[in-house]
Amino acid sequence: MTCEDTQRELTSYLDGELDVDRGRAVRGHLRGCAPCRTAAHSESILRDGLRSLPTLDPPAPLWSGVRRRLAEAEVADARRPRWRRVVAGWGRPVRGLGLALGGVAIAMGIAVWHAMERQMERQQGQPTVAVLSSVPVVDRSPCSSGEPHDVALALASEPTCVTEAYAAAAADLMRTAHGQRAQWDNDRRARFDAQLDKVRRDVEVAPEGRPRQSAYRAMIRFLQRVTTRDGMLADARGVR
Amino acid sequence: MTDVAVEAIEPPLAEPRPRVSATLSDDAQLVAACCRGEARAMEMLYHQFKRRVFSMANRIVGPSDAEEVAQEAFVRVFRGLPSFRGDSQLSTWIYRLTVNASLSHLARRSRRQEVGDEGLADVAAPPEPERDPGLAARIESALQRLPPGYRAILVLHDVEGLSHEECASILECRVGTCKSQLHKARARMRELLGAIGDRA
Repeated sequence: MTCEDTQRELTSYLDGELDVDRGRAVRGHLRGCAPCRTAAHSESILRDGLRSLPTLDPPAPLWSGVRRRLAEAEVADARRPRWRRVVAGWGRPVRGLGLALGGVAIAMGIAVWHAMERQMERQQGQPTVAVLSSVPVVDRSPCSSGEPHDVALALASEPTCVTEAYAAAAADLMRTAHGQRAQWDNDRRARFDAQLDKVRRDVEVAPEGRPRQSAYRAMIRFLQRVTTRDGMLADARGVR
Repeated sequence: MTDVAVEAIEPPLAEPRPRVSATLSDDAQLVAACCRGEARAMEMLYHQFKRRVFSMANRIVGPSDAEEVAQEAFVRVFRGLPSFRGDSQLSTWIYRLTVNASLSHLARRSRRQEVGDEGLADVAAPPEPERDPGLAARIESALQRLPPGYRAILVLHDVEGLSHEECASILECRVGTCKSQLHKARARMRELLGAIGDRA
């Protein structure tokens, strides 16, 4: 055992924390090494000196000072809003759990919002960028020419294509509605014609792009309601 | 090899380590009464720990700020009692708050650059005879010149007689770290104190 080893083990040795073998090795080295023996003796005296330091009496005003500060803190507590007192009463783990749950709730909210937005886009017939970029062969765009298309070009022409798709859907529904119109009574026809005129005007006056698409969607909803059986029945009962 | 040398290197007999007198159930009752705001219970807890808390604060931050720090420690204790779950002994928890209050105070004082070494000038001492009558005073002074971390471990382990496990729990470190810090702290103390106990 070297002096360096001994110095490293000295504290544990003096505290009686070494096992028998290591303790014996340190002791053996100390027997033959005067500098290490001096260091051990010096540390032993230091240790005993530290241990024999007296426990000190605090000054008398300490307790009154503690009570005064506790009273001040209670007054400050009482002035705090109720929710802060409640949160302060929670332990650190509960506060951590609350924060974690809050984080999870926010993340879930964002995920649901994204999902809903995506679903709405799908319902509105807008192809997503992913569809455009990943499925170039099966082109669902109403502007499709049947040729493999350029993604950038498709993105640029998307508003026009979507408007055209809405127009085509509205025209289909219009044909169906006219077929059914022949069977209605005069009052119902009049109501239908008036409503149709209104939504048509809305489409005509709407600017190109999203406003016109929105107007077409309103027209499609109206025609769908009229042409679906449930809608007609509901109309017949005067629900709508 | 002389007999004197043999005697000198024998490890000292193990001394009893001070332990908290109150049992866990006593602690639990005391804590519950304090949480209910019972003045007598609070005073009892204060008197039970006042000397240890004050001594610890005194030796870590020095005499001039000891009262302020002990006061802060007790305020933290009483304010924090409702959150004391009994995972550790009440004494260990109180010592942890005391050490934290002391080290926070030292950090604040250090930031204010008000570290005062006045009154500690004559620490490095010439070799003294074995029975040094001023040893306690020199040790107290040398303690104040140690880095705060070393000071905390020395006070907890050597002055207060806590075990390595308790020190590690209070300082929130591993037992191994605690042992190595203690070793370094004692070595630094020996440097500060000079050749104490040198036999002529």
